[in-house]
Parts: sequence; structure tokens; C-alpha cells
Amino acid sequence: MNRRFAALAALAVVCAAVELVAGRGMSPSTVWDLLGGGGDTTEQHIFWQLRLPRLLVAMGAGASLAVAGLILQSALRNPLAGPEVTGVTPGAVLGAVTATALGLAGWDSPLAVVVAACAGGCVGALLLWLLAGRAGGDPAQTAVYGVLVSAVLGGFTAMVLLVEPGELGSVVQWLVGTTEGRVWEHWHLLWPWALAWGAAAWLLAGPLTLLRCGDDIAQAAGLAARPARTLAMLCAVALTAGAVAAVGALGFVGLLVPHLAMALFGADLRVGLPGAALLGAVVVCGADAAAQLSSRLLPRVLDADQLTLPVGALTACLGAALLLVVVRRAPGRTF
Amino acid sequence: MTDSMGIHVQGVHFGYPARPVLRGVDLTVRPGELTALIGLNGCGKSTLLRLAAGLLRPDRGRVLLGGDDLAALSRRATAVRVALLHQAAPAVPGMTVRHLVRQGRYAARGPLGMLREGDDPVVYRALRDVGVEQWADRDVDALSGGERQRVRLAMALAQDTRVLLLDEPTTYLDLHHQLDVLQTVVRLREERGLTVVMVLHDLAHAARFAERIVALREGLVVADGTPKEVVTPGLLADVLKVAGRVGADPEGGWPVCYPDHPLPALENENQFH
Repeated sequence: MNRRFAALAALAVVCAAVELVAGRGMSPSTVWDLLGGGGDTTEQHIFWQLRLPRLLVAMGAGASLAVAGLILQSALRNPLAGPEVTGVTPGAVLGAVTATALGLAGWDSPLAVVVAACAGGCVGALLLWLLAGRAGGDPAQTAVYGVLVSAVLGGFTAMVLLVEPGELGSVVQWLVGTTEGRVWEHWHLLWPWALAWGAAAWLLAGPLTLLRCGDDIAQAAGLAARPARTLAMLCAVALTAGAVAAVGALGFVGLLVPHLAMALFGADLRVGLPGAALLGAVVVCGADAAAQLSSRLLPRVLDADQLTLPVGALTACLGAALLLVVVRRAPGRTF
Repeated sequence: MTDSMGIHVQGVHFGYPARPVLRGVDLTVRPGELTALIGLNGCGKSTLLRLAAGLLRPDRGRVLLGGDDLAALSRRATAVRVALLHQAAPAVPGMTVRHLVRQGRYAARGPLGMLREGDDPVVYRALRDVGVEQWADRDVDALSGGERQRVRLAMALAQDTRVLLLDEPTTYLDLHHQLDVLQTVVRLREERGLTVVMVLHDLAHAARFAERIVALREGLVVADGTPKEVVTPGLLADVLKVAGRVGADPEGGWPVCYPDHPLPALENENQFH
């Protein structure tokens, strides 16, 4: 288990290194110089004020989404649960977009964006609970309701964007998820939030593990299942909201990383939750590096001037492919 | 302390709208007793067991466990006193035997205690009790039905309670594993003086292993006594709705049933299904 953590940490360092050199116009040797304190002022600014915070925000958001997904899958006993398909992410996006459109939040008040995203995420989770809560928790049915809730919330978001197109440019990136232009301000907001809720989630590892066994068994073993599930959902919503406020609705990270984490670390959530966090950081960081590299290469191939591939587009494509594997591999499985 | 093992069900009513399940059940289970609950599907056996485990609250009446009213105890405090093995066993992907059995310690350790690493002698004992220690690191879902049932019994034993409630512990098992599970329960009860109440569908098992049989029909206790007192052709007809004869085991002397054919269904059966 420790060896797996070490390997993953090494992978994280590699991804981080690739991400740092992947951007336009800076060779690896320049980056090396910068790390040693060299380089001119422009290069220093790009590296220390743009690239480094972007890397950290990508990792923090990936970790938050992965942990949120693992919490949701465990608390709902549903392999198809993830913040994207339970209405949590679309709700958070709607909250952030609405608050921005109403002028309650914006680039100058990032905390308000987080709070609005949190409120929206809660609304999404609540809607799903109202629809699917009494259905008895059949995974496929819950997933269908989740898609329904997500579609409705997405529609509302589109409406807000059409009514209030002024903020369109900055808001559209929330829909896809991008780490473009993320600076220290975002990181300073993200890390305490993610750390606090991540720690809270870890403290719930025991109850969450029991919830994975099913409510009947959990209750017989002494767990008050309902309040435990509510607390866990709160952590998941808060972590998702933090990530959405920072980078937007990164597709499929919260749905698929938990499956990888389960395969790597097993069902012991004391290990699984930190494992998922590390894995989520690696995946988003790697995807962001890949997105930046292809942003450099694609214009040459397509003969275009400039092209910026948002990382969310990449994780969504990658995630959809992986989801197909999960669904094909285990039909009718509860996890 | 001895009374901490006894169960007192006093005038318990329980039901859902338009569907009464228990209609005034009184039952006292003495400490250390091995009791079997029998009756048709829907007669309220499992409900009674869940009430005794504190998983359901009676509409009227009360359930005392060693003098404590279960209604006044938290879920965790109840699970320290009484363990219930459910009939259904949902899949637990990725969980090893040891990990699942360890979950039985939740009531004793609490949410934060479960975070601590550390050997729990009770878990080892529970694994040994049912003889699954050699599979401790295998995935639960990869085991056969009989092996999985033993693991789930170990999880209930890991709660280290004085009272053990078993809801049809032998369902879906072949005869070999049925006897295996029941004999484990009988042995542990003798070794530890556990109070055991189990719902059994198989009257042969009830007559053979239980000291006391309690029969339920339409939410009421209709027979209560030793197997010899209770297992009669009259009981087969009244409670289980079958015509049959009753003999005695040539070696052990316990009653043996020879069911012949089902009797007409209950007049108001729809009310209970």
C-alpha cells in the first residue's frame, strides 16, 4: 500500500514537472533556470505568478472532485454516482453563474463564488434526494434521476447565461472546466477549503465504509445511517463547490477517479480517501499538461493561429471512454 | 449483569398504515436461552427480531434489553448490547473478510476509533469462532454463499454482544452449510452463554437445535414452549398451514415432522402481504 502511494506521488511529481514545462514559449532548460532563481522578470512572472498557481489549483481541484466522488459512491452505494451526475456539479455551476450574473459574486469576490457554488450544489443534491430518495436506492434509477436533475440545472444555467450575457466570457469556462488564468488568489481560497472538508471527510471514513455495506448492515452494526449519510453528502457538496468555483465543472473526474482509487487501494476508506485525492490530483494535472501540450501542437497540425484546449474537455472525453469500460465490465454490480 | 442478556417484549404493536404486523406481542427471552421463532411468511417474525434489535420502534408497547428500554438507547449503544444478522447480504465490492468483520467493531470503537489502526483481539476471535481466519485476506464477494454467511456471522460476533439475533441464517445455504452455521451458533452459545433468538423456516432445524420454540401467526404469539410441547400436528395445521404428522428422532428424541400437503390459505392472507 505504501509502495502504491510512493509510486503515485512520483507520478504526481512527473505530471507536475510536465505541466510546468508544457506551456507555450518556455523551454525545459529555462524552467530549470527559473527554479534555481534565474531568468528575466517576464519569465519569472510567468513561472511564479501564472504557472505554479495554475498547477496547484489543478491538483487541488482534482483532489477535491475525486474525494467528493468517492464519498458519493460510498454514501449512495452507487458506482454511477459522481458529482457530475448527481446534480451536485451542475448545481454548483448554476449557483456560481447566477451569483455572478446578479452581481453578488465575481472575480473580485471569489469567496462569494464558493458560497454560491456550495448553495447550488446543495440544491442539486436536494433535488436528487427528493426524486430518488424514496426510490429505494436502485443505482441505475438514481443515475437516471441524476441525469435528469443535471439536465434541468444545466438548462437553468443556459437561461441565466442568455439573459445576462455580460459575464459570458468568464462564465463559459465554468461549464467546461479550465485551469487557464488561475492565479494565487484562487489557490489561497481553494486549499484551506479543500483541506478542511477533506479532513472532515476522512474523519467520516468509518461510517462511510459501513454505508458501503448497505444500510441494514450499517445500522445493525451501530451506525445511524441517515445522519451519517447527510454529513458525508455535505462534505461531498462542499468539496465539489470548492473545485467548481476554482476551475469549473471538470467532467468525469469525480465519477471515474474513485473507481481507479478502489482498484488501487481497496475498500478501506482510511487509505482510499487520501489515495483518491492523490489520484485525482495526478489525473487533472496530467490532463492539464496534456491539454497544454496539445494546445501547442494542434495549431501546427490544424494550421490555426492560436488554440487553447480546456482541460475539462480532455477529462470529459477521457472519462467517457473509461466510464464505458466500467459499465461494460460490471453489469448489474452495485459498485 | 445477568439480566443484561434477557429480552422483554411487552405489549408490542407494530405496523404500517392499513397493514398491522404485530398486534400485541408479549415475550420474555431468558438470559442464555436459545429460542427459535417460526411462522409463515409475513407473520411478523423478522419484524419482531428487528424490534428486539432496536432497528424498528414499536407503535405501542416497549422492548427492554436487560432492563433498558431500547427506545431510550442510541443506535450505537444498542449495537453494543445486541447484534443482528440480516437475512439479505448485499455485495461489498473490494472488501476483504478481515475488513468486513472489523466493521463489526464500530459500535464499540465509534467513528473515530475506527480510524485507528491496531489489532483488535475481538476481530481475531470472531474470525476464529467461525473458522474463517484462513481466508481473512480474501475478498468477501469471491467466497461461496456458505463461506460468506460464516463471514457475516463473524461480523455480528465481532460486535461482542451478549445477545445474538439471527434472521433466517440458513436461507440459500445447502444442508452442509446450514448445519455448519447452526452448530457454530449452538457451540458459541454454550461457550459464552449468549442469548440467541433466531428466525428459522425449517421446523426440523428449530426442533433439533432450539430449546424453545415461539410460533407467530398474524402478528400474535400462538405457541411457546419446548420443541416437544410445541411441534405437534396441530401446530403444523394452525401455524404453518400444512397437514402432517410428527414423530420422534430415533436417536436424539427431538420431534421430526412429516409434512404431507398444504392446507387452504389464510382467509385474510392479503392483509399480510
